[in-house]
Amino acid sequence: MSAQKKKAFQIEEFKHRVVVDPKYAEKTWKILEHAIHEIYNHNASGLSFEELYRNAYNMVLHKFGEKLYSGLVTTMTSHLKEISNSIEAAQGGLFLDELNRKWAEHNKALQMIRDILMYMDRTFIPNTHKTPVHELGLNLWRDVVIHFHAIQSRLQAILLENVRRERSGEVIDRGLMRSITKMLMDLGPSVYQDDFEKHFLEVSADFYRLESQEFIESCDCGEYLKKAERRLNEEIERVSHYLDTRSEVKITNVVETEMIESHMHRLVQMENSGLINMIVDEKFEDLGRMYCLFRQVSNGLVLIRDVMTSFIRDTGKQLLTDPERLKDPVDFVQHLLDLKDKYDKIITSAFRNDKTFQNALNSSFEYFINLNSRSPEFISLFVDDKLRKGLRGVTEEDVELVLDKVMMLFRYLQEKDVFEKYYKQHLAKRLLSGKSVSDDAERSLIVKLKTECGYQFTSKLEGMFTDMKTSQDTMQGFHASHGSDIGDGPMLSVQVLTTGSWPTQPITTCNLPAEILGICEKFRNYYLGTHTGRRLSWQTNMGTADLKATFGKGQKHELNVSTYQMCVLMLFNDADRLSYKEIEQVTEIPTSDLKRCLQSLACVKGKNVLRKEPMSKDIADTDTFLFNDKYTSKFFKVKIGTVAAQRESEPENQETRQRVEEDRKPQIEAAIVRIMKARRVLDHNNIVAEVTKQLQSRFLPNPVVIKKRIESLIEREFLERDKGDRKLYRYLA
Amino acid sequence: MKRKDTVKLISADEMEFIIDKDAAMVSQTIGGFAEMELGEVTFPEISAVILEKICQYFYWALQYSRGKETEFHIEPELTLELMMAPNYLHT
Repeated sequence: MSAQKKKAFQIEEFKHRVVVDPKYAEKTWKILEHAIHEIYNHNASGLSFEELYRNAYNMVLHKFGEKLYSGLVTTMTSHLKEISNSIEAAQGGLFLDELNRKWAEHNKALQMIRDILMYMDRTFIPNTHKTPVHELGLNLWRDVVIHFHAIQSRLQAILLENVRRERSGEVIDRGLMRSITKMLMDLGPSVYQDDFEKHFLEVSADFYRLESQEFIESCDCGEYLKKAERRLNEEIERVSHYLDTRSEVKITNVVETEMIESHMHRLVQMENSGLINMIVDEKFEDLGRMYCLFRQVSNGLVLIRDVMTSFIRDTGKQLLTDPERLKDPVDFVQHLLDLKDKYDKIITSAFRNDKTFQNALNSSFEYFINLNSRSPEFISLFVDDKLRKGLRGVTEEDVELVLDKVMMLFRYLQEKDVFEKYYKQHLAKRLLSGKSVSDDAERSLIVKLKTECGYQFTSKLEGMFTDMKTSQDTMQGFHASHGSDIGDGPMLSVQVLTTGSWPTQPITTCNLPAEILGICEKFRNYYLGTHTGRRLSWQTNMGTADLKATFGKGQKHELNVSTYQMCVLMLFNDADRLSYKEIEQVTEIPTSDLKRCLQSLACVKGKNVLRKEPMSKDIADTDTFLFNDKYTSKFFKVKIGTVAAQRESEPENQETRQRVEEDRKPQIEAAIVRIMKARRVLDHNNIVAEVTKQLQSRFLPNPVVIKKRIESLIEREFLERDKGDRKLYRYLA
Repeated sequence: MKRKDTVKLISADEMEFIIDKDAAMVSQTIGGFAEMELGEVTFPEISAVILEKICQYFYWALQYSRGKETEFHIEPELTLELMMAPNYLHT
């Protein structure tokens, strides 16, 4: 620093007044006290803030901060006491209004005071850990005004009364309510909660408890739910208008508990309007409402789901054990599909596609479909009906829809191998009689089955289709080479079936009429000429024939009959009258088949090309048959062939069951061997579990049967029992 | 002549300094004073020299907050008194 500057550098005295005057503090305080009075009396405009600020500043600077602070507390407290009194004096409706106004004024005053005392706020208070001015102001308000006994209880009562009035439909001053609740929140969350919210929730709970009791006595389920929903929305709206947002969750909880949870069971079970009725009557709106409301309470949805599930199971069980229904399989399956559609719709439109409900529906269906062991057969019959006529003229997309629905039912089946057996039978009949409506539809379904169950399931089915195609080609070849030979003789059309692919039929005896034998031989020679090493056998129980018949008055008809029937009718070319025994002798057709065949020829109205003596419905060994000269029909072509696939009679059903059981044995054995080969050593229970798991996509194996198969394998030395533990098995390589 | 967005600061020796309201707001205390409404504040304990320096400081503070980082020069003689004023004004 230069010498010149040094001279100018003087430390001057503090310009601030040094305290000599002991009454200085008192004087200064008095100024400030007066100012506070003025502020509270709305006379602030006359004050010079700078002066006041300076005074406060000086007090703190000269170590009179304590005096200033305590003085502040005293003054403010006394003012607030006055204010309390004036608020308390307010009558009735004006109480809240007065409280609100005084609160606003206090806030403004507090602001000004804080500004004046800012220096103290900044320095003195942090040093002494005292409450800052603003907070102090709030605390004093809380303690002196709000918690003043007379005011506290009255405030609470009036607030709750207002809410009650609004709930019964009156209009209240929401803005005022909002200001008051905001005040409580500003004073501290615990103030809001203890002074108001806690009581609000209690009172609301009582209110809704009563109201719900009233409602439930007087309303039906749908109405009740509407009212509950309305109240819920009201409360949410109330919160948004004049309560703290955090109260929303709490009050909705209260409403839900009192109105929904307490009456859950009663609502669901309500007669004539409960859950079941809603489902039956398809009240989607009501169901949707119930879903939304019940979702908010614990176990609400579980209750709905359980009631729905048991109802579905009961309905399903009824359907499956109703003998009337079971008479018509196609109708029966259609009912199942309708049932599923109905519930799907409910779940989609009312239950928001809730996965848990979907699962419950699926498990219910799985449960009752498998209650009836004939379900696989019936589903196959349904498909058969559709593929024969049901899907005629239906668009491709709709066909896919129906087939997908069928697949859905198929998935529920536990005994998928039974279905396979029947499906094969029905498919064979369809293919051989050429009765399938759409080849594309057939193939589409095969593809779906393949996707679901794998190649093995459908390989034979596909084999059947291939055979049909190959036969066509063969016939073309046959006619090309032998066409000229046939001339006036009977026309032959052959389908060559690969034995493994088609449902096995026992070979039956049947003597073909002489007129046919010729061409049959020709075909046999032709075929074996091109395919050496194969064996052909005529399946006389599966063929059809078209016969031209001339009756008494010369009327001609073309009769479409089965092969058996053809054999019988051809006999009448040489005789007018034949006894049962004679027919049996010549044709050598097995008894039950012959009886059935004669029945359809003689006992069916409109198709009685033969007359029977005596006239009765059943065929007896002693009956005689005559050619019915007087037969008439409106149509030229008459079909007397074997009817379409029908539900099996009991004995037939037993037979099929047996065959299925037989087929299962090797499958179980194969599974056991596979498992043991991989594991080497395994105990009994685990084998059973593993086998069940492996086979479950086809059927549910019976543990007893598994045990038998294991023993059979032990006998054949594929497995052995462990020497020490009888329950343990070992694989023998 | 008096625009709405200016204030007048009056020193102990009755010197008047007219500055923008924004500048005055740098001091939180001045910002709180009710006299702001009227547009003038009196400081009976602050001399003109100091008050002048304070006004300069206000403008410098505004500049600095807008990114212009320059130095604020204080004459050594002023420093002592200059310490008290900001304490008072919370600047």
